[in-house]
Amino acid sequence: MNEPDPQPWLADVRARLDESTQSLDAATLSRLNRARQAALAQRQSRGLRGWWLPAAGLATSGALVLAVVAWYPPGHLPAPAVPVRPSVPDAEIAADDGIEFYQDLEFYAWLDAQEQDSGG
Amino acid sequence: MADTTNQRALDGFLKAIERRALRMTELATSSREEALDLVQDAMFGFVRHYADKPPADWPPLFYRVLDSRINDWYRRRQVRSRWIGSYLRAPDDDDDDAVVQAPDTADPGPLLRLAGSQAALALDDALRALPHRQRQAFLLRLWEGLDVAATAAAMRCSEGSVKTHLSRALTALRRALEDHQ
Repeated sequence: MNEPDPQPWLADVRARLDESTQSLDAATLSRLNRARQAALAQRQSRGLRGWWLPAAGLATSGALVLAVVAWYPPGHLPAPAVPVRPSVPDAEIAADDGIEFYQDLEFYAWLDAQEQDSGG
Repeated sequence: MADTTNQRALDGFLKAIERRALRMTELATSSREEALDLVQDAMFGFVRHYADKPPADWPPLFYRVLDSRINDWYRRRQVRSRWIGSYLRAPDDDDDDAVVQAPDTADPGPLLRLAGSQAALALDDALRALPHRQRQAFLLRLWEGLDVAATAAAMRCSEGSVKTHLSRALTALRRALEDHQ
């Protein structure tokens, strides 16, 4: 990876730097090793989690479908609610308090005729 | 099956660069513990976001994530430094960029001084003294072996900036190491 030194004294500098990496103590090397393993383990666990979560979601959905089917077996499903169209127009319902008037319409006509006869 | 192969390739890639990544980060933070935390963060971020990219793209992408983590670390430290009033400015060629202004003033520590050779210490000191962008350009380009385009991608800057940072880093390093050649 290294290229020829543009200046000869740099070879000595590099050799000394290389030496310094070879003389690291055991505790330091152990910590480097643990750091590397932890970094790689983080990736492995992330990969596992990435596979496991969609699978868990799918399993949960399947369980919910099964639970619904078990609760309402085929043939026993409740009939869907059909909206019932009102047989009486809304305007007539709104005038509900005037129904008695229409029922006694003949009486009011007779009363009116009596009043006209007596007054006329 | 393909996933297992990819997992194995990722493991091999991270294993191949983790030590160099740690040393680069350690030179930036002057702290082994901080460097380990940042490299671990970078590994997590890289695997989370870029594991599915072609393996040929992994090196610049990993170092891009790592560079981002280091920049975040500098920003956090800068905020802390402001609060305690001990923020020190370091000379740099990017006066407007607070991140690349982060100083490298930490001592490597007595244990490291005793264990390492004078030359190795001098190299560490010289690298720590470089501004962050210059050091990253030097380490990614001439130690990690990324080409100019990949280094620019890792550092999120132009190829011209990489060349400028590298040129300045080489001049500063050579001057600092003259006594040890």
